[in-house]
Amino acid sequence: MTQTPGQVYELIAANVQKVVRGKPQVVRLAVAALFSEGHLLIEDVPGLGKTTLARCLARSIGGTWNRIQFTPDLLPGDITGVQVYHQRDEKFAFHPGSVFANVVLADEINRGTPKTQSALLEVMSEQRVTVDAVGHDVPRPFLVIATQNPIDMAGTYRLPEAQLDRFLMRLRMGYPDRASEVLVVMSDRAGVDPDELEAVVDLPTLQGAITQVRAARIEHAVIDYATGITSATRQHSEVRYGASPRGTIALVRAAQALAATYGRAFVTVDDIKEVAHPVLDHRLILKPEAELRQRKAEGIVADLLAEVPVPIAVTSVAGA
Amino acid sequence: MTRGHAVWLLLATAVPGLLFAPVFGLWALVPPVAGVVVACYVVFELCLRFPALLPWRPLLALVAGALALIEVALFDTTRSGLPTPDSLSRLAAGVTDSWQLTLQSTWPVRPEPELLLFVPLLVLFTASVGIELLRRPAASVLPSLVLLLLSQTFIAVSGTVATLVALAYAVAVAGLFVTPTRTAVALTVGLSVVAGVAVVAVPTGPAYSVRQNQFAQVPLPREVSPLAEVAARLADPEAEVFRYTSDDPVDRWRLVVLDGFDGVTWTAGDRYRRMGAEIGPPAGTTVPTAEHSARIKVPGGQRWLPSQAMPTSVSGAVRPFVDQDAGTLLLPQRGGPVEYDLRWREPFGDLAGLADAAVSSDVPTGDLGTVRDEVAQLARTATRDARPTFRTALVLEQYLSDNYKVATGSQLPTGSGWPQLREFLLDTKRGTSEQFAASYVVLARIVGIPARLAVGYRAPREPVDGETVVRNKDVLAWPEVAVEGVGWVPLDPAGAASDAGPAPTKLAEVMAKARAELPPPDEQLPDPPVSEPPAVDEGGSWTGIWTPALWALAGMLALFVVVLLAVPVAKLVRTARRKRLTGARGVVGAWWEARDLLRAHGTRITPGMTARDLAAVSGGAVVDSLRHLAVHLDAALWSGEGADEGRVRAAWKAVAEIRGALAGRSFGARIRAVFVIR
Repeated sequence: MTQTPGQVYELIAANVQKVVRGKPQVVRLAVAALFSEGHLLIEDVPGLGKTTLARCLARSIGGTWNRIQFTPDLLPGDITGVQVYHQRDEKFAFHPGSVFANVVLADEINRGTPKTQSALLEVMSEQRVTVDAVGHDVPRPFLVIATQNPIDMAGTYRLPEAQLDRFLMRLRMGYPDRASEVLVVMSDRAGVDPDELEAVVDLPTLQGAITQVRAARIEHAVIDYATGITSATRQHSEVRYGASPRGTIALVRAAQALAATYGRAFVTVDDIKEVAHPVLDHRLILKPEAELRQRKAEGIVADLLAEVPVPIAVTSVAGA
Repeated sequence: MTRGHAVWLLLATAVPGLLFAPVFGLWALVPPVAGVVVACYVVFELCLRFPALLPWRPLLALVAGALALIEVALFDTTRSGLPTPDSLSRLAAGVTDSWQLTLQSTWPVRPEPELLLFVPLLVLFTASVGIELLRRPAASVLPSLVLLLLSQTFIAVSGTVATLVALAYAVAVAGLFVTPTRTAVALTVGLSVVAGVAVVAVPTGPAYSVRQNQFAQVPLPREVSPLAEVAARLADPEAEVFRYTSDDPVDRWRLVVLDGFDGVTWTAGDRYRRMGAEIGPPAGTTVPTAEHSARIKVPGGQRWLPSQAMPTSVSGAVRPFVDQDAGTLLLPQRGGPVEYDLRWREPFGDLAGLADAAVSSDVPTGDLGTVRDEVAQLARTATRDARPTFRTALVLEQYLSDNYKVATGSQLPTGSGWPQLREFLLDTKRGTSEQFAASYVVLARIVGIPARLAVGYRAPREPVDGETVVRNKDVLAWPEVAVEGVGWVPLDPAGAASDAGPAPTKLAEVMAKARAELPPPDEQLPDPPVSEPPAVDEGGSWTGIWTPALWALAGMLALFVVVLLAVPVAKLVRTARRKRLTGARGVVGAWWEARDLLRAHGTRITPGMTARDLAAVSGGAVVDSLRHLAVHLDAALWSGEGADEGRVRAAWKAVAEIRGALAGRSFGARIRAVFVIR
């Protein structure tokens, strides 16, 4: 029997939350990213479970997964793969890199050099790698989960805007509350290891959920609302570069996936608003004067969510 | 910032603009003020539709308002409706000159564009500034308030009209605060109360006006005084001076009034204004007056035009200056022949008590120069040492006409300084009307009777072919004395005007009767009756203000009742209409109802809020109900299934739960929520 996306979400979320305690909303958004085949950038200070979340998510689906620890001496070829000369056959053969897996965990991505970071550009947007003019498809579904630490800037390279734009969402873990932290400690004492999690969803089931998510109903008024928000980011006086059309697409796809995690087959305005921060915050580049005033992209998106009128699909309502 | 706010603001700006109506007339003001207000609204609407124009809105408003003003008020300067350089220069003159010309004119002024342009321009400027401040309604009111104060410094309205205007302004300002905050409501109520109280409580009296010390700058080069020309004119008696046509009784025409005397020369006043549309009766005149008219043709070369003591209006191709106190008309400069219709007032009705009337106490007696004792003694003798009354003035007139002789022939005495007057009074006792009138004025002033010297012409008795020709031989100088309640009354010590005019005026009739009743020369004058002191009114200065006060109170009460009842009733009607909706509309109606309920209870609601957002910021007992409502709203709007009757009912049930939860708030909060407009 085909499982609905809502049921798939319940399975994955329950599995992940055996290890990642007290972060149901982060887990929901991470699964939403998985459902929309979008890539995930998890950003926060060390020790909050970024890598653990990524590992748990990767382990919960029954596909292949690779981990790449980004370091300054990592080379693009280590990620994409290289052509190796086989003496026996007297020909070059492609040796796939770490990126060839369903889930790729790019740990501490900002420690890699820009050249190495750029090796992910093609595969993140086109799900294929081109080496020596030969294209190689990566397995589907394909998901990059990257982590980065925003405070320890020594020896790091800021992600280029082009790459940031390719991440569907940027999530922040945040500190757990006291009760959740107690559970985390108890899990550690009990020896719960992410690598011991079992896969709860196989790839065909996940692929089926992804297909259903893409078919979720979304009214024109809701799409118009999403477009209104991204358009407003471009016209905002404190924003130098607003969200691109790719950002609008990401907003709608993320909202569809989020609706699925709530067990709905249609998208509401609240879905758009709920994913607006993870989808848009990292896509806005503020003007220098706004940054000097300590303005953050989060604040601007929050302002826009408060001011852009929400749509009412039924028009001419008396007293409206 | 909505269209409604802009409309209320423009109304609040138009009301002070229309308060200039007593100066220009309401119907002259309405088209240009309405033109600029409409132009400002059109620009506001354009900027709403095309946000790219927003930074240019003030400029656009000024340009559109100026164009509207040209089309409405200066259309005759356009070419097929298109502005010409002349239109622009006259518009510029409207900025720089029109307010000055208005202040220098009698009121109401002629409704001509060069005079009234500054009012619509002020409205335009005020409206455009106000619209730019519309984000802060309290600040946006300030420009119109300044305009209101300015209009009141021009001419203050009072009484019932002022009460109604204050209420209209307060209503327009109140409309700006569609979502009332406590400060805004306090400001509006405070403004209306202060305006109402100020209107009814401030003791009535002559209101201040910026006009009161503004007079036209009249270039008076070395004009030969008509007084100095009396003898010369009598030497050429048949020369025509002017001609007129009138069906009303006229006995004399004045050219100039001379009230300054330094012992040598007589000088006229310089308090000239531009002649407006119509002049009311002088402030001190309490007797009834009748209006007369005449058509006058004056050959070229004269600056002083024939006039009467109380001119009302001058129509024709002339724009003279007028000295309202003296009743004289002066052309800005010498020119060709002029023809004009003059209307004037004359005392009329029951003037029987004129002989016993007192002389005006509020008019200064006038300058005299150095008076010799023998002349002062002569004055006391001539007036029989009586107190200064109008009867005393008549006795003095009788004394001069009985004891002095009018000079005729070719050797006529000239001059009216003290040397000539002493010679006339003490030695020759022979003179022209110039010496008679000047002597009368100085003698009257010596005994305390306010008097002045007028120069003009007597009206000939026989008209020819309907026209009466005034010639040099009719030249006349006469004295005038200020009589309480009547104004300046002309006398005739030389007896030259006694047979003037086709018919005597009412005043001349009464004076002839009073002269006939004067006691013989050797008899003492009876003491004038002493008038009763005015009764002390228990109400003091409050007399006469009860009617406007009651109006003000009634108006405020009506406003209060309207606000008290209109808002809750309107909300009930709105809720009933929403409840009649079906399907998805019914669920949306329930959402609007819940939103408005919470907004009335002080929850801040932004355009980007959904029901779930509202639940997040509300807290308390309404959260669950709002979440239920959000579920129904999402299903009705976005699932594609619509909403059946059950879902609509469930949505309204959630609203009822919200209403029930809000019922637990304090009584004061609930009362406030009932009267909040949104």
